Parts: sequence; structure tokens; C-alpha cells
Amino acid sequence: MPRGFSRQQIGVTEALIETFGDVIFRMSHNYQERQGDPYRNLDWPEIERQRENMGLADAEIAQRIGLTRDQVLHIRTTLEHRRFHTGYYVRLLDLGGGKRFRAERFTPHDERPQFSVEALELRAAMRYPSDLATKYIQNGWWSDDTLHGWLDKHAAERPDSPAIQTLEGQLSYGGLHEKVAHLARAFYEIGIGPGDVVAIQLPNIPEYLIAYLAIARLGAVITAIHMPYRAAECESILKHSRAKAVICFTEEREYKAAEQFLGLRAMCPKLEHIISLGSKVDGTLSLSDMVERRVDIELPEGPVASDPFLLLYTSGTTSSPKGVPLSYHNILSNARLNAPELALTTDGIHLSATPYSHLYGLYSFHLAMAVGACNLLLPVFKPVDLVTLIENGRPSAVWTAPAHIAACMQVGLLDKHDLSSLKLVIFSGSACSPELVRTLEEKLAETVVVQQWGMTELQSGIYTRLDDPPGTAARTTGRPSPGTEARVVDPESGEELEAGEEGELQVRGCHLFPGYLRNEEANATAFTADGWFRTGDLARRDKDHNFAITGRITEIINRGGLKYNPRVVEELLDSHPKILQSAIVPMPDTVLGEKACAFVTLAPGVSSIRLEELCEHLLQLQIAKNKLPERLVVVDEMPLTPTRKVIKGKLKIPGA
Amino acid sequence: MPESPQEIDPLEAKQSIVEYCKRKGALAVGVANLQAVERICPPGHRPTDIMPRVRSVISLGVGGQTQGAWSVPAKAMGYFGSTENHAYRIAYGLAFFIENHFGVRSVYCPPDMDPESGPRVPLQSLKVHAELAGIGARSLAGDILLHPDYGYMYFASVFTELDLPHDEPLASNPCPAPSCVELYRKVGQTPCMKFCPVQCLNGEIDENGKQKIMRYDMAACAEMTQQYEAVPAAIMEALEAPAGPDREDAIFDPDRKILWYKMSVGSGGLLGQCFECMRVCPIATNAPLADPVLRHRAATRDTQGGK
Repeated sequence: MPRGFSRQQIGVTEALIETFGDVIFRMSHNYQERQGDPYRNLDWPEIERQRENMGLADAEIAQRIGLTRDQVLHIRTTLEHRRFHTGYYVRLLDLGGGKRFRAERFTPHDERPQFSVEALELRAAMRYPSDLATKYIQNGWWSDDTLHGWLDKHAAERPDSPAIQTLEGQLSYGGLHEKVAHLARAFYEIGIGPGDVVAIQLPNIPEYLIAYLAIARLGAVITAIHMPYRAAECESILKHSRAKAVICFTEEREYKAAEQFLGLRAMCPKLEHIISLGSKVDGTLSLSDMVERRVDIELPEGPVASDPFLLLYTSGTTSSPKGVPLSYHNILSNARLNAPELALTTDGIHLSATPYSHLYGLYSFHLAMAVGACNLLLPVFKPVDLVTLIENGRPSAVWTAPAHIAACMQVGLLDKHDLSSLKLVIFSGSACSPELVRTLEEKLAETVVVQQWGMTELQSGIYTRLDDPPGTAARTTGRPSPGTEARVVDPESGEELEAGEEGELQVRGCHLFPGYLRNEEANATAFTADGWFRTGDLARRDKDHNFAITGRITEIINRGGLKYNPRVVEELLDSHPKILQSAIVPMPDTVLGEKACAFVTLAPGVSSIRLEELCEHLLQLQIAKNKLPERLVVVDEMPLTPTRKVIKGKLKIPGA
Repeated sequence: MPESPQEIDPLEAKQSIVEYCKRKGALAVGVANLQAVERICPPGHRPTDIMPRVRSVISLGVGGQTQGAWSVPAKAMGYFGSTENHAYRIAYGLAFFIENHFGVRSVYCPPDMDPESGPRVPLQSLKVHAELAGIGARSLAGDILLHPDYGYMYFASVFTELDLPHDEPLASNPCPAPSCVELYRKVGQTPCMKFCPVQCLNGEIDENGKQKIMRYDMAACAEMTQQYEAVPAAIMEALEAPAGPDREDAIFDPDRKILWYKMSVGSGGLLGQCFECMRVCPIATNAPLADPVLRHRAATRDTQGGK
């Protein structure tokens, strides 16, 4: 409404604006062109000739094109605001003090990358109670740790120090940094950016860690797929995570991973890239080429500690996989705070017997990155390979599941190899028998054995300390990690239990995930109102605040209202000479509600066993009659997690 | 006592006006050819449209900030880089000075925008006044005036019914500087063109190192500098944004809130400044008498040379 007139009064319509807007805008002062220097020279012919190029006043334009002055004024100012872009001033913010704007180096804000819908959804899941977040920051637990920040630091300070070691050779931190930068650029070139999910299905080989770090450098999010997983499990994870790319072997023995993932693209619409290691397969990208090739592209800013870092899927011992988003805050603060507790140092060599597809395996790597130690890689666990690697690679610490060491012991490998380099053995992943800890402590007199309890939801939550009294690691999994609180509660009343009482283990702290991704049903029951995570594990706390894990709530057998934890019964069954491994699961019963069904694998050379034999054995060991298994199922092998924990959910009772 | 206009010696009056302005801090003072101004400026924007009996157009220029100011971040420069208020104060005083000493009506020319024409059209062109008064020449940087000795100045004008002899425009144009010509020969752009954050400057230099064509995309420049225009645009965007966080951001994100701040308490002056073309201009920043320190040193050299 220029000069106070309405459009109706001056006869301006949208049609008039559309018709004459552009020419008016161009004839006005908005674009100016001057040839020579006519004003200073008072060159009147040139001044007159160039008058239109220098921008006419509204009245002059009106006269030139046949509109009224008020119409021109209205149309010009309308165009001026309609064509006006806001937010350009921010281009200036980094300039000055010698910094100059360079058009060729500047990407307008509206052309800059943005998080995808999927990435924003993942970020939205990273929600923590503000009082807890404040506490974590004030206590120094949450800091600015990022994996790429740690890598940059180690590569700058000690470029020649070993970062990755295999029996074939070493890769220094400087070399690792370079390869990671190459691969990150190659990933970025194909459109992988901050917040995108990239899945990895590889064993513990250097390429795993290079890819892991490259994804992290971009601020993309890593999801790990266990090596034994095949199409059904992979599809479930890729779909739920909405992964944009997957990194895998081209093939491994009979498993044609690349072809499988190519086939899965039809079911997983977000999956754009299959990046394979090995021989070239049409439709896939070569991981080796991407690591070696130099791509001339500028990487985006790296992630920050609050960004999503991992999207892992729970081991699924009881149910279908659940997506666990974790930030650098969660994961790296845990590593940073635990490293001094475990006396880890720069000159250490870390070995994980557990695959990096499991957070426990990654934990050893995160600890190594926290201090700048070396990572000794065991691609696939075999008892003889583990002890051979320890003997030759001389690791200072090994992260292992009890079953790994038990398997080595079973065939006498611990006595045949030099394991003297080990200063630290950490057990986790499944329940560890006191005998195993004691035996190992006896065999490795100079080695400290640590028992740890962790979950995908929080990495390392509870563990024994190096200076604990003797026997602590055999009896318990120790005390909460720095930044973690733990308690044992009555699963039904929710009240905290006294020392010695068995109940549900609940934890909370700076390492705890914020909640399952896109799974409100699981989240509704996973947390208490005051933010404690219901782990589902049964535990007891002793008077020194050490916790002992005693089983899983879901594994409790409720036989006619009498509930018991089958863990003790399983341990007694495992001591039967005919039994290699046992697992007891509840069996529906119309009268009692539930009864116990024992699944067993037989010891080498044993062909059969009867239920009566088992019950007799248990009764001799003074077990209560109501805890005796009432059905026996012999299986060839147990379904195991990567940390060799029995997946009871996969034990199907015949005919049930 | 005011003198009678008939008794005033134009040359002496001009001399006293120049002395007054310089005493108050002006670097350069000149009188524009009124007829030329009237002929160049469009109807409605001529001196006679403000003051029908105007006989003379006086233009004065003041210097900019310190040398150090050119090195501060652009976001700080935007607050204190301009010194036009200093020029306006001198012009305001000069109008009274003329009325007091010579008894003729004078007016401090309002430097503001024409209320009838929107925020991009001034009432008067201070640029034309200064250029014809011989205290600045049009540069390739969107016709910003530069002076060979004083570099980049801010201008103010006074209209008076006093007859004063007018000055001639500068005999030569300091823009482009030799170093700018050199860069242009290499990359096809002068520094001001190359480093403009919105690339609103374009042009050509002829074979003699003189300006051939100056192109200025004022609409683009406005998007960078005319922050008062951004305020209604931001409101419009907020109205058009979906309710919820998008609308909240459209009003309250830091960039938007700082607009309100500048519009209210934080401006300390006008807001139509970017400075990046002048920051890289060798004339603006390195003219021999561009600031008081340089002028003092030059005066000292002259004195010592005289001895």
C-alpha cells in the first residue's frame, strides 16, 4: 500500500505485477550499469544515454512504460520484497581479520547438506532427562570425545605408533589416519553423510576398523551385523536401521554376502550401496578401491560428542532385535573413564576374542582409542588361533567371553602356549563360573582377571577392579563403572533390595542409551519412571557393593507359583560328565503353569542321555525336587550369541 | 551579527565554510554545481524539491574508522564501521553556522529514505552532491565514492540560499588502483568484485587501466546489507511457516533475533553496511591521508621538510 493507497485505489492486480514486475525491477535502481565515468566528466550525452542503465526513478519508469507512478512504485517495492532473500548476512560472520569471502569456496546455506528424515528421526531418539544430562556434564563424564578426534590426536602426536596389528603386519596411527581419510572421502562422494546409517558385516580385520573410523569421521552412524547372520536377520536390521549402505565380504566360503545384499535392496528401499571386500561383483563398490583411491572432495565437519554414533541391535537372547542408538557421549565417555581404572596405557596391545560386531568387542577398540594403544586382530575365534595369536602377538590385555577361554582350557591349550604377555583378562558376554576365573588366575599368576557385566544398551556397566580383594572376580562382576549407578530391586514391587537378596538389576548413568529406536512398546517397560533401566538380569549385591549376575528374569521358572532361577541347575547339569552344555527354559503346563525343560548338548563321544540320569545327578547334588527338569531335549548345538551366550529364545520345545 | 546577503563575498564565505567544516572534523569540503545536480537527479530528488530557493549544494566528507577497524571481524565492523553520523553532525552545525554568519536560510540535507518510495530510494543523492563537489569519484565498488587522498569517506550535504562558487569534479578517478588493475588482468576481477559476499559487483577495465563498465546488482547487495528490509521479510516467512518449531525458528532463531536487536537497542547507527568491498579496496584502506594518524604524519613530514 505505497503512499497510503490500496491496490484497489491504484488499480494494481497480480496480473499487472506479473506482467510488468520484471521490467520495472530491471529499469529501477536495483540493477545499475555505468560505462566510463560520465558524471565526473559531466559528459551529458553519455549521462543521458546511460540514464536507464543506471536506474530510473519510478516516475521515469512510469512514463517510459505507460503505468502510473504509483503503480510502478507498488510493483517495484512488491518485487523488491518478494525477491529479497533473508539470511544472507550470515555469509559475513566468518570474514574479517584477513579472511575473505571466496565465491568458489562458498556454498549458500540453502544448498548445504541437511540431515535426512531418517537421520533426524534417529537424532530425535537421543533424548535424555535434562537433570541427568546436566549432572553428566558437570561431573565431567560427558565431554567432547569423538572417535575421529581421538584418531586425529594419536596420529598427530604419535604417527608411527602401531594402531592395528595382525600376524601379517602393522598399521601405524599415521597410516590409519590416512586410510580413514581416503575412505571417508570416498564414502562422502557416494552420498554418505552425517546421520546416515552404514551397516558393517565383516570379521575383526583391519578393513573393519578403517571403515568404522571412516564412517565415524563423516558423522554417519554405524550398525554392526554379526557374521553368522544371513538374509532374514540382515533384512530385519537393514530395514529397521534404514541403512543407506552395507559393507561386507564379497563372499566367504559358501556365504555370498554381496549377492545377498544386492537381493535385499528390493526389500530395503533405503539401502543404496553395497560395498564389498573381495572380488568385484556387478552392482557393488569395492571397499579396497575406496580405501586406496584419492578423492578430491572436502569433508564436512566431523561429528560432535552428542551425535548418534552407533545403532546396534541387541543380541536377541529372548526376543526379536531391538535398535539401540548410542551417542559418543555414551560410548566414549565409558571408554575414557574406564581406561584408567583398568590401567590401560599407550603402549598396550588390546586383543578382542569377541567379534567387533558385538559392542563388547568394540569396547576393547574404544578403550584402545581412548589411550592410543594398539589393536591386535583375531579375525575368527578358534581356540588354537586365539592362543597362537596371544603367544605371537604378545597382547597386554584380552577381552573374551568365558566360553572362549573354557574352550581353550578344554583342549589344554592354555598349558601349551606362552601367554605371559597378558596383564589383563576381561571376561564378559555371559555368566562366568567361579571355577573358570580361579583356574585362569592360577595358570596366569601375573595376570589380573576382571569380570565385567555389560549390555548393548550401555557398553561396560559393572566390573571388578584391579585392586579388588582376591576372589572378587570369581564371585562377582564387581562395582559400577564411573558414571553408572546400579541397584537390585524386587521385580514386582520395584523396591530396592538389601545386600544378598536376588532381584532385578537396574542401572542408570551417562553410558546408558536413551531408549530403543522406533519401539515405544519396548521403551514403555524398559525404564522406570525415574530413569532406571530394567536390565532383565537377575543379580545380588554384596555388602561391598559388588554385584553378581545370577540369571535372567525371563528365564525364571514359575512352577505352580514357586519361582526359581534355573541358572544354578544349569551349572550343576554342566558338571555331568555326559553333558557339554545345558540350558533350561520354561515349558507351558496346564496344571502348574510352567515346568522346566532342559536342552543339552552332549560331551564328545557320548551318544545319548536320559532325563532320569540328569535328575539323579541333580538330586545327588542336593537340588530341590521342584527344580528338577521335567523334559529333556538333546540338540546337536546350542544357538549362541557372538559372545557365546545361549539364545534361549531360539530353543524350541518339540511339539509345544 | 548576520551579514546582509548582498554584502557577502562568495569566495570569503566559501572559505569560512570550508574552515568551519574542517575545524569540526571534515576531511574534504566542496560545493557542487547546482545546475548539474538538478539535471542529473530525477524529479522529486532534486535539491529544489527540498529547498525551492536553494542556490548552493555544499558537500562534506569525514573519514572512517581506524586502520585497526579494517581487521576486525565483519560482524563487529557492521556495528561501528560507519561514521556517517559524524558527517551529519557537522552538516547540521554548518547549516546553523551559515544562517548565523551570513543570514541566509540553510538546511541540513536529510540523508534518509524517501517515505514515498520505500527503503531503497533516498530523498537526495548525497553521492551526486559529493561527486560534483569534487570530493569523491565513483568506484567499481557499486559507485561508492573514493578520494585519492582520503580514501573512503562518509558524506553529508547542506543546501543553502547563499551563492557560493562551485567546485569541479575530481580531475581523475583513483579507482581502479594499480594493484586492482593487476589483479583484474590476472583473474578478470578486482578485489571488490572478487570478495563481495553476494557477488553484487561486476565490471571491466579498459586497456588504459580505467573503468570501462561498472555493474552493480543493488538488489543482491540489499540482501546482504539492508537489514531493516530483512525484518518484514522475516515476519512474512514466519507467517508462512507451518505452526510449531518451524514458525518458532522463523521468528526466534539467532539470526532473526539479532535483527530485532539491531532494529531496537543494538544498532548505534544505520544498518546498511557490509564493508567487504571497502575492506579489500587499497584506496579505501591505504589512502595517504585516510585517517588522523596518517594526516598527522604527513603534516609532520611537511613541517620538517619546510625546515
